[in-house]
Amino acid sequence: MIKEQKPTVFVVDDDSAVRDSLRLLLKSVGLPVEVFESGQEFLDAERDDRPGCLVLDIRMPGMSGLELQVKLNERHSILPIIFITGHGDVPMAVEAMQAGAVDFIQKPFRDQDLLDRINQALEKDAGSRRMLAERNMIRKRLESLTPREREVLDLVVAGKANKVIAGDLNLSQRTVEIHRARVMEKMEAHSLAHLVRMVLEVEHPEA
Amino acid sequence: MPHRPHSARGGSAGRRARSSRELEFRALLDAAVDAIVVIDHEGTIEDFSRAAEQLFGYEAAEVVGRNVRDLMPEPYRSQHDGYMHRHLRTGERRIIGIGREVVALRKDGREFPCDLAVGQVRGSDPPRFVGFIRDITQRKHAEEELRRSESELRLAQELANLGNYVAGGDGGGDYVSPQLCRILQLHPDQQRITREDYLDRWVHPADRERFEEAFARMDSGTAPLDVEYRIVLADGAVRHLHHLAQAVFGPGGQLVKHVGTIHDITDRRRVEDEARALQERLTHFSRLSTMGEMAAGLAHEINQPLSAIATYAQACQRLIRLPEPALEDVVDALEQINAQALRAGEVIRRLRTFVKNREVRREPVDCTRLLEDLRMLADTDARLHNIRLRIDSDVGLPTVYADPIQLQQVVLNLVRNAIDAMAEVPEERREVLLSSRKASEDEVEIVVADHGTGLAPEATEHLFNPFFTTKASGTGLGLAISRSIVRAHGGRLWHTPNAECGARFHFTLPVSPAVTTGE
Repeated sequence: MIKEQKPTVFVVDDDSAVRDSLRLLLKSVGLPVEVFESGQEFLDAERDDRPGCLVLDIRMPGMSGLELQVKLNERHSILPIIFITGHGDVPMAVEAMQAGAVDFIQKPFRDQDLLDRINQALEKDAGSRRMLAERNMIRKRLESLTPREREVLDLVVAGKANKVIAGDLNLSQRTVEIHRARVMEKMEAHSLAHLVRMVLEVEHPEA
Repeated sequence: MPHRPHSARGGSAGRRARSSRELEFRALLDAAVDAIVVIDHEGTIEDFSRAAEQLFGYEAAEVVGRNVRDLMPEPYRSQHDGYMHRHLRTGERRIIGIGREVVALRKDGREFPCDLAVGQVRGSDPPRFVGFIRDITQRKHAEEELRRSESELRLAQELANLGNYVAGGDGGGDYVSPQLCRILQLHPDQQRITREDYLDRWVHPADRERFEEAFARMDSGTAPLDVEYRIVLADGAVRHLHHLAQAVFGPGGQLVKHVGTIHDITDRRRVEDEARALQERLTHFSRLSTMGEMAAGLAHEINQPLSAIATYAQACQRLIRLPEPALEDVVDALEQINAQALRAGEVIRRLRTFVKNREVRREPVDCTRLLEDLRMLADTDARLHNIRLRIDSDVGLPTVYADPIQLQQVVLNLVRNAIDAMAEVPEERREVLLSSRKASEDEVEIVVADHGTGLAPEATEHLFNPFFTTKASGTGLGLAISRSIVRAHGGRLWHTPNAECGARFHFTLPVSPAVTTGE
């Protein structure tokens, strides 16, 4: 569940000077920072899916930044990635953006540019986490419904009137009304519209 | 008309009538090796010796009584009467007692060269003449041969610009070939030059010591002369000579003569010098093109420290403005800024050394250090392609005597090839192993091994040919130049397949001469 955790900036760069200077910069603005010298080291670290963002060097020996991104995507990581690129790395940066990176920044960079991007990434991460938490909550509520209540819910979301639902399910209209009230209560829905939105959110997230 | 009967040998009537004196003459005539023909004052043949019969192919009986003209081809034939008349009239001797080389005519019509000597029989009136004829076909042949081989030798000497000479120990038997005269701009009549003369008048002052040492060694019998030196001609022109000579000793061990050849190698030297200059330009060009190919990687290499410096500096500004400035961090950061600035400078310094067009020089080089130094240049490229670069050097390797920059160029080129060879292989296979080891007592071997696609058999054939390349943007000069650099160092460059996959390029370099031998 959601814990009030301070987001951390994770830095992965094989160049110790670049890594260390980033650590110091982030420290100077009071952001918690953890540094890693390779993609593998980052993957191996126990992070417990902590909130934050990843500042990642695109070009590294062994596992490159792009390869780490692919591995994180496979693990369904939502951690936003800001790529650090050298000049001439534009094609790689494009590839990274297509794979879902939030941003990239070219070395050497103005500190404020990087910090702005980090803040945006952290906001995005917080937003994503809020949304995920909400979806989890909705799923829990859906799981609390009885099979009959679930049937009624699906027909309600499909826009059918109580009378039609009663006919479809071979129930009395009164019984349908009772189930419907139970669903609204369990789902903590303020209105029919709210109920529909919650169901669509978890079952058809693209809608 | 003859006032005496013809004495034709085989004439049965005349023979008996002869005096014993005449018989002796006859015997003498027939015993003589030279052909003998006796004629009267009008040229009528009176006697024809056995050797003459053999030489001309006539029986004596066939020619006695005929005019001696019949034994001559034109133009002698028509002129002969005239000669005889003039002699009889004036007593002038053109041939009698002198002898000359003429051409005679055989019965079968063939002509042959001969020496003719003519004597006048004393006391006979009218005069009679005796001709001695010697066939000189073979001698002429030999002379012709000699002339031809001499002219061929002269031509060969001219073409090769090579002269020969014989210098007698006793002062006699000196010979200087025409071409040698030309090389030394010597008058053809001057056939004797003493060594002192030669040394003073020709040999370049800077080369005199070497010249004298070489001659001393030859004179002592320890070694034939084989020395290259310069001469200065009268007009100041400098020529390079290659001088080979041998001392010939008599039975008592005394020096009899020197025989030698002197080869003007100025032109060859010039060609060699030009080739070397071209090679150096090419080598330089290849270094530049290697640099060009590596430019992206090098930009990265310089960008890294710059980027770290910028970030440190910006962090410092923030750290100082904090309510409680984190001064320790600031000090650390400033140290790092310093270190990173030096790091960027170092990259540039190495690059400049590498790219600079410069004199080739040899010095003792530690291969392990060389490979470590090189890692910085090569690592950039390797990182760009996600390739691991591993170095595995034996400890305590002897130094090699080489030009370090040229060696770096060779290794860098091989590493670049290795990197290119692995562009298509899976990531985990991408490793270049650089190793150096002692191959033998006097050689160090450096190996660059990759796990790439290996070499196609058809490629291996042309691998070292200039302008052969399998790369889209290659110059095709890398391996050709690498091999020529290694060869110039007295080493070898070759390749073998790598055990699992890929290729290994090896080269050897001779170890530095031991310090004790002096240098």
